[in-house]
Amino acid sequence: MAEQEKKQAQPAKNDKKPETKPQTKPKNDILGDGSDDGDLILENQRVSIPLTPENATFKRSGGDLVSLDIINDKGEPESFERVVILRSFPVTNPDEFLSVREPDSRKQGRGKEIGMIRYMKDFDEETQKLFLEELDRRYFTPEIKKIMSVKDKFGYLYWDVVTTAGHVTFVLNNPFSNIRILEDGRILINDIDGNVFQILEPSKLDAASLKKIEIYL
Amino acid sequence: MRLLFDLPETEQKVLDSAIGADEKLMYCVPFNILEDKFVDGFVAITNLKIYKILNDQLLASYVIKGATGFKTEVMYGSCGFYANFGQGTTLICQFVSGRHLPRYSVLVKACEILSEDESKTTPITNSEQERFCPKCGRPFVRGTNICPYCLDHLEVYKKIFAMTKGLRLMMCFPFIVAIFNVIFQFVVPEIQKLALNNYILNTANHGQSDKMTEFTLIVIAIVSLDVFHRALGVLQSRLSAITGNKFTLMMRTILYEKIQSLSLSSIQRKSTGDLMGRVNGDVGVAQDFIVNQLPNLFVQFFSFLTGLIVMLAISPLMALFIFVPIPFVVFLISKFWAFVQLRNRRLWVLGQRTNHLLQDILNGIRVVKCFGREKSEIERFKDGSVRHANQNEANAKVFDTIFPLLGFAIKLGSYLILWYGNYQVFHGDMMVGDLHQINSYANIIYAPLMYITFIPRNISNFLTSLSKIFEIIEENPEVQDINLPLDIRIEGEVDIKNITFGYESYNPVLENVSFHVNPGEMIGIVGHSGCGKTTLINLLMRLYDVNEGAIEIDNVNIKDISQNALRTQIGIVLQETFLFSGTIRDNIKYAMPHATDEQVIAAARIANAHDFILNLPEGYNTMVGEKGYSLSGGERQRIAIARAVIHNPRILILDEATAALDTETEKLIQDSLNKLTENRTVFAIAHRLSTLRNADKLLVLDKGHVAEFGTHAELLENKGIYYKLVMAQRKMAQSVIEQQGIAENA
Repeated sequence: MAEQEKKQAQPAKNDKKPETKPQTKPKNDILGDGSDDGDLILENQRVSIPLTPENATFKRSGGDLVSLDIINDKGEPESFERVVILRSFPVTNPDEFLSVREPDSRKQGRGKEIGMIRYMKDFDEETQKLFLEELDRRYFTPEIKKIMSVKDKFGYLYWDVVTTAGHVTFVLNNPFSNIRILEDGRILINDIDGNVFQILEPSKLDAASLKKIEIYL
Repeated sequence: MRLLFDLPETEQKVLDSAIGADEKLMYCVPFNILEDKFVDGFVAITNLKIYKILNDQLLASYVIKGATGFKTEVMYGSCGFYANFGQGTTLICQFVSGRHLPRYSVLVKACEILSEDESKTTPITNSEQERFCPKCGRPFVRGTNICPYCLDHLEVYKKIFAMTKGLRLMMCFPFIVAIFNVIFQFVVPEIQKLALNNYILNTANHGQSDKMTEFTLIVIAIVSLDVFHRALGVLQSRLSAITGNKFTLMMRTILYEKIQSLSLSSIQRKSTGDLMGRVNGDVGVAQDFIVNQLPNLFVQFFSFLTGLIVMLAISPLMALFIFVPIPFVVFLISKFWAFVQLRNRRLWVLGQRTNHLLQDILNGIRVVKCFGREKSEIERFKDGSVRHANQNEANAKVFDTIFPLLGFAIKLGSYLILWYGNYQVFHGDMMVGDLHQINSYANIIYAPLMYITFIPRNISNFLTSLSKIFEIIEENPEVQDINLPLDIRIEGEVDIKNITFGYESYNPVLENVSFHVNPGEMIGIVGHSGCGKTTLINLLMRLYDVNEGAIEIDNVNIKDISQNALRTQIGIVLQETFLFSGTIRDNIKYAMPHATDEQVIAAARIANAHDFILNLPEGYNTMVGEKGYSLSGGERQRIAIARAVIHNPRILILDEATAALDTETEKLIQDSLNKLTENRTVFAIAHRLSTLRNADKLLVLDKGHVAEFGTHAELLENKGIYYKLVMAQRKMAQSVIEQQGIAENA
């Protein structure tokens, strides 16, 4: 398993296990590509294009996800049954530089970038709603509203909190590195399961809640 | 891993009413997220359908037959389980990654099987370890199967007791000493009382010489008791040092031997730091507990108990004065320690951060200077330092206030005694000596209180450490020798028979791989990164056992050959050459400790290493490794080659042995390799095809399958993957060496 993790670099996601086979790289026309350095990894690079309402139409897909029709850089129409939308800066700039990609697949490996949306607000409201739906699902970050208790036992912190996604308990290890305070004052908490919780305005938490986490900040 | 969870009653009813008569429930796992809420739902999979159930609702059901694109997707903070049931990719459910991702990865495979053939109703299984306690859902201690909450304490005690065989008598001694100690503690105040009441304060006796003699006797008694007490103390310290040492030595040896004998797979599951922690840290904790804490615990408890009884016997009222504040004091102490611990930990973390930052900056000092960022780095470091200093100051202030207060609280009982005792003395109801005695006892009783609050924490630390140790000791190596393993002399014929292998059983890295190698042949293994080349080598070395099929060497299954015989006759050179700290001679001799100097030189000559070694200041005795002479990549590689060939292995494996080197050095090493490959079966993995120009046959792996197998000429004729690779590299490679290499062979 260690080997598998090494092979698959996953930027922006720490401590995540890769979910698909990393050893499946698409077989491409190698002769057509002269830019490689002599290694065997020769892949046909899709050219990422800027996506605007002019060249890209996002629609709700049959499976209730996001599908896309574009005019690609060669001027040809191309459609994608499903696309994945990733934030380039999920923490600091969530509404700009959205990367629209083919989904990863077990057979073909990592999905390629189809294009990039510079500003989400360039698109009409309906589309923006679709984006947000997809993004909210992908970047599921419940906001902590109230902290019932934080208990330190056997080196783990057991939290009992009320969030925008309901009342949950979660476990943290190493609180001092898994609780991050951002420049704008937000607090991000990564629990042992891989969940991410946030506290948007710590100063607005009730005094009792704040007191329970003060020491970790 | 658990793949069939029990449904709660409500959910079970929902499923029962939905499921058909010919359906068989095969898997059932939880999902946790629905839209923007946390939920406790379940996904139940029968041989025909997937049911998504939340409380008393059937949210959805999907027909598996014919569905495609089953997969999991790791998202930010959660994961999704997807498939295409005909109307496009659909999100079946969303779940928390850390807890369930491995489960769903198995389900993906399971669904793929069912989508093709619904009659395969035997659920697939997976041996991967759970990371959460199945009883309480809390996380296991990292890298282990231990839940500190659900630990069977008695079981651990039994095991540790069994292990202390031979040390038991020694370990009992501190307890005997402890009893003496306690008795001493209580006898001395009694004698002191006598001295005070009858001699010092009794003025009627002053000046009488016979009384003086008696008093001298008392002094002598006190002195000799003290001497005896101290002598016992010395003996105890010495003995506990000896027992502790023996215990640690024993545990470490057992652990280390075990770690060495464990299979690579189980070792790789744990980090180096974790294993080191177990050999050093956890053994230390266990030793400390057994040798120091346990006797101490006994002493404290025993003296507390004796104090209680003696006080009650002397003066029940005074005893009450002592005991009334105790609950309050214990409460105060435990609160106080929680508080102190947290602050200390925070201070420690801030210190660590500063250290880390410093290390980071110093390591990257070239970058810092090149980009002219000194000022901002100074600021960054200052920030960290200031925070650390502030925390330190705050802690000091708090502790320095609380400690004296705590001391005062503990003494409260004594003040009561002082007051009431003096009251009685003034009224002639009590002698001064009695008061002194009672006061001494009060101090004896209070001393253990500070300690008592630590006991639960100490015991739980001890138990956790012990279970971590036992977990390793009790683990069975996955790769094991059979009962009577063969010690064959290997000729070098290798037969790979239809092997399938995956580090996780549901995710095969190699599938149905078969090929045959004659003795003395050189096989070049080619393929994209991640196609299973290194895995094939791992299997050949039997670092892992194949899941299906067999690997035969000279027509003997390698599972029947003793691991020692197998590995001593296979030499391996890896891309990352690891040299141990020690001399070059030691490193070359590693696989054959009894090698003569002549053999060392011979091996070095084969590896083209002899010349550069002699140019080092201390020749073959030059220290290398972390603290030694720093060698270049090519030099290290050649030493590694010498190490691989010193015992004249029949099978030689070169795992990208020259990939990290420049062409000049590669040429040098290539020459040495050519010398080695004569009369040996050689497996060579290489990215640069020129490296393989001497290979008799080439094996092209693609996505875990054998894509092509044959000679250069055959494969070029085939115009398959290999042909394309050669062409691509030829096109790119402008260097003379590369062109020569391929052109000659093509």
